[in-house]
Parts: sequence; C-alpha cells; structure tokens
Amino acid sequence: MASLTPTPSSPAKPTKPKPSHPPVSVLPSQFARVYALAHPALLLSLVAYRFNSVVNDPVAELLGDIPFLVGLQVVFVMGCLPPAGATTSEQKDAASSGTESSKKVPGPRRRGHPGKGTSGSGFSTGLVLVAWKLMPALLSLTLTILLATPILSLLLVLFGAPLTTHHALTFLCGAHMALLSVFPLIYVHGVDGAVWREIWGAARPVDGLWGGSLGTALGAWFGAVPVPLDWDRPWQAYPITILTGAYIGYCVGMLGGRVNGVFGKRIEFAPSQEEQGARVDVKVD
Amino acid sequence: MVSPTTASGRESLSANSFPDNTQASQNSSPRPSDTQDLRRAQGLKQLPGMQPQANKSKPKGTSTKDAEQEFKNKHLGLLGVFAWILLLHIVGIFFFTKGFLLTRMVLENKSSCDVLPFSDSPSSPIDQPERDECWHQKSFDKAVVIIIDALRYDFTVPFVPNAETESAHLFHDSIPVLYETAVNTPQNAFLLPFIADPPTTTLQRLKGLTTGTLPTFVDAGSNFAGTAIDEDNLVAQLHAAGKNLVQLGDDTWHALFPGYFDPNLTRPFDSFNVWDLHTVDNGVTEHLFPLLEPQNYTKWDVIFGHYLGVDHAGHRYGPNHPAMAAKLNQMDQTIRELMTKIDDNTLLVVMGDHGMDSKGDHGGESNDEVDAALWMYSKKGIFGRTTPENLLPPKYARDRFVPQIDLVPTLSLLLGIPIPFNNLGSPIEEAFAGPSGNNWNNLVDVNRLTSAQIKKYQRAYAQTRGSDDGEESQSLGYWETAEEEWQAQSGKSNTKNLVLIYKAYKKYQRHTLHVCRGLWAKFDVLSMIQGIGVLLAGIVLLVFYARGVQADRTELTNPLLSRAGLGSALGAATGVLIAIGGMAEMKALESSALMAAIGSIAGASSAIFGSPQRLSLPLPKSLWGWLAVIFTVSQSIGFASNSYTIWEDEMLLFFLCTFGVVAGVSSMRQQSTKDRVLGVYHSIVFVILGRLASLSRLCREEQMPFCRSTYYSSNTSSTSAPWQLTIPFFVMLLLPAVIKGFYDGSKSYEGAASLWIGIGFRLGLFVTSLFWFLEEVDGKDWLPLSNETLKSIRVFLAQLVLGLAFAAGTTAFIYSKPCVSINVAKSSAEPEPNRPSSPGEQQLPRTTVTILGFGNVHGTRFFFLAINFCLAITLMQKPMGQGAMALLLWQILSLLEILDTNELVTSNSPIGPIVLALLGSFYYFKTGHQATLSSIQWETAFIPLTTVKYPWSPLLVILNTFGAQILTTVAVPLTALWKRPLQLNDKTVQKPATKLLSDVAQASVTYILYFATINLATTMWAAHLRRHLMLYRIFSPRFMMGATVLGVVDIVLILFSVAGVRWSTLSVGEIFGW
Repeated sequence: MASLTPTPSSPAKPTKPKPSHPPVSVLPSQFARVYALAHPALLLSLVAYRFNSVVNDPVAELLGDIPFLVGLQVVFVMGCLPPAGATTSEQKDAASSGTESSKKVPGPRRRGHPGKGTSGSGFSTGLVLVAWKLMPALLSLTLTILLATPILSLLLVLFGAPLTTHHALTFLCGAHMALLSVFPLIYVHGVDGAVWREIWGAARPVDGLWGGSLGTALGAWFGAVPVPLDWDRPWQAYPITILTGAYIGYCVGMLGGRVNGVFGKRIEFAPSQEEQGARVDVKVD
Repeated sequence: MVSPTTASGRESLSANSFPDNTQASQNSSPRPSDTQDLRRAQGLKQLPGMQPQANKSKPKGTSTKDAEQEFKNKHLGLLGVFAWILLLHIVGIFFFTKGFLLTRMVLENKSSCDVLPFSDSPSSPIDQPERDECWHQKSFDKAVVIIIDALRYDFTVPFVPNAETESAHLFHDSIPVLYETAVNTPQNAFLLPFIADPPTTTLQRLKGLTTGTLPTFVDAGSNFAGTAIDEDNLVAQLHAAGKNLVQLGDDTWHALFPGYFDPNLTRPFDSFNVWDLHTVDNGVTEHLFPLLEPQNYTKWDVIFGHYLGVDHAGHRYGPNHPAMAAKLNQMDQTIRELMTKIDDNTLLVVMGDHGMDSKGDHGGESNDEVDAALWMYSKKGIFGRTTPENLLPPKYARDRFVPQIDLVPTLSLLLGIPIPFNNLGSPIEEAFAGPSGNNWNNLVDVNRLTSAQIKKYQRAYAQTRGSDDGEESQSLGYWETAEEEWQAQSGKSNTKNLVLIYKAYKKYQRHTLHVCRGLWAKFDVLSMIQGIGVLLAGIVLLVFYARGVQADRTELTNPLLSRAGLGSALGAATGVLIAIGGMAEMKALESSALMAAIGSIAGASSAIFGSPQRLSLPLPKSLWGWLAVIFTVSQSIGFASNSYTIWEDEMLLFFLCTFGVVAGVSSMRQQSTKDRVLGVYHSIVFVILGRLASLSRLCREEQMPFCRSTYYSSNTSSTSAPWQLTIPFFVMLLLPAVIKGFYDGSKSYEGAASLWIGIGFRLGLFVTSLFWFLEEVDGKDWLPLSNETLKSIRVFLAQLVLGLAFAAGTTAFIYSKPCVSINVAKSSAEPEPNRPSSPGEQQLPRTTVTILGFGNVHGTRFFFLAINFCLAITLMQKPMGQGAMALLLWQILSLLEILDTNELVTSNSPIGPIVLALLGSFYYFKTGHQATLSSIQWETAFIPLTTVKYPWSPLLVILNTFGAQILTTVAVPLTALWKRPLQLNDKTVQKPATKLLSDVAQASVTYILYFATINLATTMWAAHLRRHLMLYRIFSPRFMMGATVLGVVDIVLILFSVAGVRWSTLSVGEIFGW
C-alpha cells in the first residue's frame, strides 16, 4: 500500500525541526525476548479460547476479558519495553526541552535501563524494579481509558457503527483496541509531543510497538469486511469480526514490525516529496 | 463549525499588497509555485489584462489573442474527446443491454371461434354446430372489470399479526367488502391472492392481464410511452366477438388498445399525476354508475374501470397514511354500490394489477409489490370450492395464490370467447367448480381447452423460432399423459378419474409456464460479450489516457480524434458491408455501430500507444493513488455479492471515512502549520459531515430489519415529518454562510460572490423552502386557499427557482468576472477603488496594487456553476434530501481544501476525482434512493409542472434521481482548479491555460473511470449471475443504475463541467492575461 523507505539517518526534510525518537526495540533481557514472542501467541489463544462466548454474549464477555487483556499487556510492556523516558538519549533531551512530564526522574532511569542486567539481581531489586515500572504502566492505563478509548469509540461510530444502539459494544470494542494499540505507545513514549505528532501523522519509524498499533487499525479495517455478508453466522455480528481483526492485526504487526527489513522504516505517502514539490507539472500518479 | 475560516491561514497568500517591484513578497507559503506566482503578481502593472478590464473588446498584443484562441480550440477538441468516450459507452451499454434484457418473440396469431385448439383446421361442423357458443358454454353476457391500481392482498383480508407486538396499520381492514362477501356468500364471490409477474408497472401488468403471457424486462422502461399490443388479447377477442367495450380511468389502456373502445362512452384520464388522488377516481365513478342504470344497461357489454387513487395515495403518502385508509374506504363503498347495481347476467371483477412496497412504490419484484388481490362476484351463485379448506380466502398472500395471467382464460371462458392465442394461464378453479364444488366435468373441459391452446401456442412458437428445446418435449409428456387419461375416461363419469385428469392438465399448464419463465430468460451471450468488450477496451484506453500519459493531454487531442474518427468511419463502412453481405445476423445500423466503436478503439489506441516515450505504466505511485484504486476496485468486486450491493451505502460511508482519516493523518505530516491545522480541521469536518449525512436513509426491503428509514416520516410513508420541513430553512440560513466561509478563507468573497452566494443563492433556497412548506400544507387545510390555488403558487415558485438556477445562473456564469477585487493606489494617496478610470495611471512610479482573492481565482470562479446546480437539485429533493445536498456541497468544499493542503491539486492526484465520485454515489443513497426501480421518485416530475411534458418531465426525474452525482460531476474540474496557482510566470509551465485544460481533462477522465469501472463491474456480474435467484431483484437494477449513471455523468461532463471551464478560464484570462 505505502512504500516503505529507510529512515534517513539525517532527516531528508530540511525543514524538519526536531530529530525524531528512534524506533524502540524489545529489551534485551531473556524474559523480554521470550515473552515478546509468547505475548502475541497468548493474545491469539485468548481470542480463540473465548471466541464462542463472545459470540454468545458479547457485552459480558468483552467486559470480562478486559482484566485479562490488561494483565497481559501490562506484563508485556513492563517486561519487554522501556518505560517513557528510559530510552531517552541526549539528542532527545535537547530536543524535547521541557515537553516531557516530571515523571522522568534521572535516578530510576539509570536503574531501569535494560542494559543493566536485571537477570542477575536479587529478588528485592526485582521487586523495586517492578514497583518502579508499575507507576508508568498505571499512568498509561489511565490515559488509555480516559483518552484513547473515547476517541477510538468515536472513530468506530464515524466509520459506520450504530449511533443510537450498541453503545456498550462500541465502547468495549474501543477499549480493547485502545489497550492493544495505544497503551504500549503511551507507556513507552509518554506524552512526548514530537513523538505523538509523528504518531498522528503515521510517520513513526516501524518497530514492534508502532507495527502493533498500525496492525490493530488495519486489522479492524479489514475486520469490517465480512459484516454485511448474508451468511447469517452469529459471529458476523458487530463488533466481533472487527475486534478479531484488530487482535490478529496487532499480533501480526507487532511481530512484523520487528523483522529486519521492516524495522526502522517509515510509511511514505508519496515518493520523495521534495521532488514532487519541485516538479509539480510532470508528476502523474 | 459553520465558519471554516477561523483556522484559515491562506489569506496571506491572496491578500498581498505589492509595492511596485521593490518590496519583497511577504508571502509565508512555502510552496514554490505560489511564490513564483506572487513574484509574477508583483509585476502586475504590466499585466495586459488590466486594460481590457475597462475596455474588454481590445486585448493588447497578438500573443494574448493567440493564446486565447488556442485555448478555445483546444477546449473544443477536448469536448470532442469526451464525446468519443460517451459514444464508446453508449455502444457498449447498448450491445450488452440488447443481449441481457429478456426478449420474447411476439406471435401475431389469433385464436378464433371456428378453430378449436385441438386441431389446426377449422372444426368440423359436428363439434359445435347448434350452440352460439365459442369454445365453451358461457356463464355471463356482461362483465364489469374494476382495476384498483396497487390493491395489495393484505389490504383486503383481516389483519393477522405476525408477531405479538405488531398492530394493525391504517391500511388494514379498510376495504372489508371483498372478504365479507367471499366468506358469507361463497357461491357468489371468491377472493384470492393474485400474484403479478414483475416488473410491477401498470403498463406491463395490463399486458399480462390481457394477453396471458409473461412480460419481458425490456418493456419496463416504456411506461412513459406505451405502445399498442399486437398480440392476441382479451380486449381484441371481446371486440371481435362483437361486444361493445367501455373503458374508464387510466389512459394507459388507450395506448395499449387503440380503437377498441366505444368512443362515446369511454372516458380516459391522465395517469401520471400521482399527486392527484381524486380526479381519476371521481371521474370513473361519475361515468360508471350512469351506465349501470336500466336505460343504459344495453349500451355496453364489458366495462373496464381503472381506479388510480390507491396507487397515488401509496406513491404520495405511503400505505400507512389516513389518506390511504380514506381511499380504501371509498373503494369499499364503490364496490358495495356496484354489487347492488349489476344484474344476474353480469360478472363483477375487482382486482389489483400489482401491490406496493412498504412506502407505497412499486416496479420491482419484492413480495409486497407483486401480491395483488382478485375478487369475482356474481348474483348467479355459480362459484364453488372443491375442498372445505378452501372456503375462507387465504390469510396470507402466499397461500393458494393464482398468477395474474390466470385471469385471461378464466374471463374468456366465462364470457364465452376464445382463449387468446398466447395465453399461458390456467382457468381459476373457483370460477368453474360449480356451486357445490364438484363440477369436475366442467373443470376438465375448461382445462383441456386451455391446455390444448397452450400446446398449440408452444408449437407455433417453436416453429417460428426455428429451433427445438429439450425442455418443451418434457412438457409435452405431461400433455400426452393427460390426453391419454382423458381418452380412456371418455363417456364414463367417474369423479375420481375426473379429478386425476383435471390435475394432469393443470400440471401440464403449470409446467409449461415454468418452462417458459426459464425460456424467456434467454440471453444473447454474444451480444453481451460484444458490449462488455467495448466497455472494457474503453476503460483500458481511459486508464492510459488519464494516468499513463505524461505529456500535455491537449496535444493528444488531434491525433486521438482524427485517428478515432478515421477508425470509426472505416468500421462503420465495414459494418454496413458485413450486414449487406449477410455475414452476421445483425441489422446494418447495429453492425456499423459496433464496427465503428471497434475501429475508433483501434484508432485511439494507435494515437495513445503510438508514442511510448510520453507514456508510462499507469500504476499508482503514491498512497493516494493506491487508495483510489482500492476504493474503486474493491467496490467493483463487491458487486459480485448481493450483500455488498444491498449495503452499498454503508460501504461508501466506510470508504469516505477511511479517506477522511487518511487525509487527517497526511495533514499531520504537512510542514507548514497552516496547512497542518487547516488540513486536520477539514478532514475532521469531512468525516463528521459524511456520518451526519448517513443518518438520512431510505432502506430497501433487503436491508430489513437492520435498517431504519429516516427519509420519510415513517417506514410506511412517503411524506416528510413536520420537523423535516425545518431542514430547508436551516439550509437556507447556513449553506450560503458556509460557502462564504470558504470564500473568505482566500479573501475571495469579492466581486460577484457576495451577490451570487449571499443574495441569489439564499433567495433561491428561501423560495425552495417556501415551496416545500406549501407542498406539505397541501391537503391539510392549514391555509384558507384551495388546492388548485396552492398548486399554481407552488408551480410558480418552483419555476422561479429553476429559472434562477439555470437561466439567470448560466447567463451570469458566462459573463461574470472572477471573484477578485483589485485596488490600485498611489503610495501617498488613499487606495482607489477597482476599475481605474484611466489605465495610464499604472505607469506612475509609486503604485500599489492590491489583489484580494488572488489565491483561488480559478476555483472560486468555477464554483458558481456548482452553486447553480446545487440550487436546482435542492429544489428537486424532498426536505431530508435537501439537508443531504447541503452537506454534500459542504463536504465537496472540505474535500477541495483537503486536496489543497495536502498538495493533491497541483500533483493531479487521482484521489480527488475518485473521492468526489464516491461522494456522488454516497449521496445518491442519502437523497432517498436505492438501486431499485421502486425508489424512483416519479412524483418529482410535477414539482415545477402540472402535466407531463416532454422532454422536461424525464429530465426533472433525472435531476431528482441522480442529483448527487450530477452535482459532484459539475464539481470535478474544481479538483484541478481549487486554489490553483496562476502559473503565469512559472518557467516550468509553458502555457498555463493549456496546462489547466490538460489537468481538467485528467481529473474528468479519472472521474469517469470510477463510474465506468463500476458500470463494467455491475455489467459483468449481471452477465455472470444471469441465472441467479436475485438477478432481477438486485443485480439487474444495479446494472441499470450503473449504466444510467455513467451516461448521465458523461453528458453532464461534456455539457456543463468541461464546457464551463471555458467561461471561467476566459474570464480569469481576461483580467490576468494568458
């Protein structure tokens, strides 16, 4: 669909004011590596395992699944991803200049850095680590529920979800999608304005995180395809296919985003925009 | 939300003051082309156009004149290219339609009294010598046949709730007489469901009801101009038997049976004024009852009375409306009165020719549309039921129904005339079973006669067609079985055997009917393939022309037209030769048209592919290009499934929302803050407006129960709810303000704009809302005015609006100046107003030229055309549709801003025209239409007229039906013109006017490509699924819609959109030079 071009090491766009946040890799720890692979499998098996009960009673089941989803996602982000500010490099400090929230305290950041070999630490160190990581996780969870869920639910309605009925389902679908796609992003990037502008512009370099979010959106988009078909299957009911598509898309995107040829590339809307600007007259697509 | 200007940052672009070459530009836009234009504008004092402004007849310099002339020539050439495209589409659609729509040969054989159907030769005088009967002993001398148009079966039977919650509607139990008599006096009356063969239009139904044959789809469109029936039919047979026929009511009968009716007693009435519920009915009643008085009783033999009130009440209000209940009550009274007036020897028949759907329309083949009612009554008491279960009329229309063609043999045999030659119907059991229901001899007789006639017809048909089908012989097997049993039986009257024989004959009749239904769905596959081939080749050429050609398209015009012309001339000649030489079974005109199309395709291909250096592979090169392809192609594939065809409106919303979201995302990437903010703002507005418009729905039957209609006041109505009447007033208040906002964004609300938008357009919308208010008042006695006065006031108002939009609007469009205001001021003096008295002033050294509205000269000027059309189309829509049209215009403007802020105007991206096409298709559904025949709002032909007038009435219905597509078609050039830089001083652009033409051509052809692809897809799917159960319900109507839309789009593009570019560009050139 979109052409993927490598991230230019020095920004190609001369007017680009700030260098962007680099793509995020999974933490190098043993647990992180394993769980980053196991996580999508767990999610998909949750979907498969609960599929029938979702079909039978979608509202109750989707509501009941949220704690499990939250649990899995929290374990994933805490175990496999650096929290907001943890990967901050010098360039970012220079760039973000005060846009970061105050939770970015220098001390814990050093301790939480993945390179510090958490595997060898004692039990108490681990506990401290978990407690320290829990804070941003809870914060991002709050933001996800307060901000991302309403926005995604609204988007669902705009795309044609019922306006006057099925409110609970729309909201739950939005919540699931937000937990999948937005929660890890907030956990890792916090409220960094530059990064979020890139996210709104779909201009992030691809990594597991961004790939997952993108995959959620695309999966949900394609998940809407079977809804109108007249097969009269109970699972065609809104929003089951959409949410299933979102889950599959998330897992595919999360894994796909980490693949070597894809990692770090960006979506381009048009081939080399600077050329387009200069040679307006011959541009035909 | 009303004012998009708050976020606008573009005025800096347009509102520059240029202090005479010295001062640097204060432009803040980063786009190179804009800056160049501004640099050009700095040297404005040399602009040649400044003088002609005051004195426009004398353009200075030959180069200007040449450039203008060249533009005009190329523009004409471009129109030629579009005409060629139209021709290609017409030929392709014609050949496909010829092969696709059912054809049946019309045999002109007539049945005759002298020839019994059992043999071919005149019967020996021994058979029927002494009786004056024809084929069968007649039961009645006279008949009164009353047709209550659109009398649905469930109107006539007591209401039976399907679910507990269901309660009786207004149309239930309002005409109880039929049921009562059938229950109380079964010997005197019977009531049965009477199923029509689609299409359920009155003309088609009358053909079926009198000839006894099946309709063919190709006749469906001839409702506007009926033609005489030349097949054998009931009316002709009655006439031949010397009966004096009288017809009262619907004048369609006279188109079908000219010269058969007694001219002194017959009273035809115009049938198309569906807003008039009473004229026809009162006229029929007024002339019917005097004929039943004893002194007049001998003057006639058969009366056909055709009431239209129920049908019109359905069209106008929908079935669930007090007007419908009142109408049915009136019919009830009329029938009761008729029953007392007729004598013993007269048969009274009351029937519906078709039903109506949930909102009172008809034409298709949904159950509600085909379920009519049939009731026969006589004072003699000869009707019977063969089993006690049949004593009560069926509760539902699908129990124990009879096909409508069964009326033909029944009436013929009851009145003692021959069965019309082409009849396929069966005698109705109740009419021949005798009062005690055991007259099996009679039943066998009539069924043997009917079967023999059917067999005779089948043989004649097979002989004329010259080929034999295996299925017919299978049918013949049933005939032989029945015949053998009859022969074995003859003489002895054994009830059990008689029942068997009767059943055997009936089986033969029904089987033949079944076979014929399949047989006449015979498609001319070769012709279909020819049509598809032409359409496909046309699309391939258009793809390369629109997306593959890298050079100036206008330079391609000459070779394209000359070679296509040459090719088509050669082809036409070849076609004539082929036809004369007898090499193909085609008429000369048809074969020459086909060969001309093929020849022009070959010629055009050589022109387009002849120079590969300026051609590139037309693959999308950006995300936008891919998006355009995905939208078009996935929708085309979707038409293979009935679900996606049914839910097309929701799919379009999904696509439009997807575009809006992607546009928002893309806008976030823009580097200029203004572009970013504006782009995101308009993307959000675009998405919200689309979702808002999606709330206006008219559900088709197949969408139930997942859809709730909001277009009318209820699901079973076709009138607007009172609150919907406020919509036109809101449109009047808001829409001009919204447009003004967009004009203000580029400081273009100057010159003619304020007069046109702020006063003219608003006035037109005000008159429109007045019109629709009066329309709703009609029949409600809110005002102390008679209905006639109100109607003439309404017609006047409507004509006023159309005059404003088309007559005044077009004139103004041709002569108007661009929306700019130019101030020339000396540096020390106060700014002088526009149009300086002496042009020499500009030579003075310190002159400041300020141009307001500079950034969007082309766009705002051309947009006037869209405003004109929007006004006219708004008038033609119901109040809910007017809201939708307003949202459409707003969404078009938002789209244009999105295109501009994302640099999609200057890059000629395909996404602009494609999204415009999606918008047009989407709003088709939002103005109360569906891809079904019954959703055509015929009554809108009477908005500015009182009677049917050609060609205006069909044009008005087209303006209502395809209003959305027409408006987006008119707006297509805007995707290349909106905020287009003038490029006058741009070194990379040699001839800006020619470049503009080329871009407009590219956008227009891209736009056509969408509709051409949809048309090809629906065509191919209809051809592929031609044996599908849902063919006539879903695929065929969608194919017809696709083909019609393509034709309308092509014609509107040629006549208005591309043509309009000439005037707008000329007027811009006049001021800014070439």
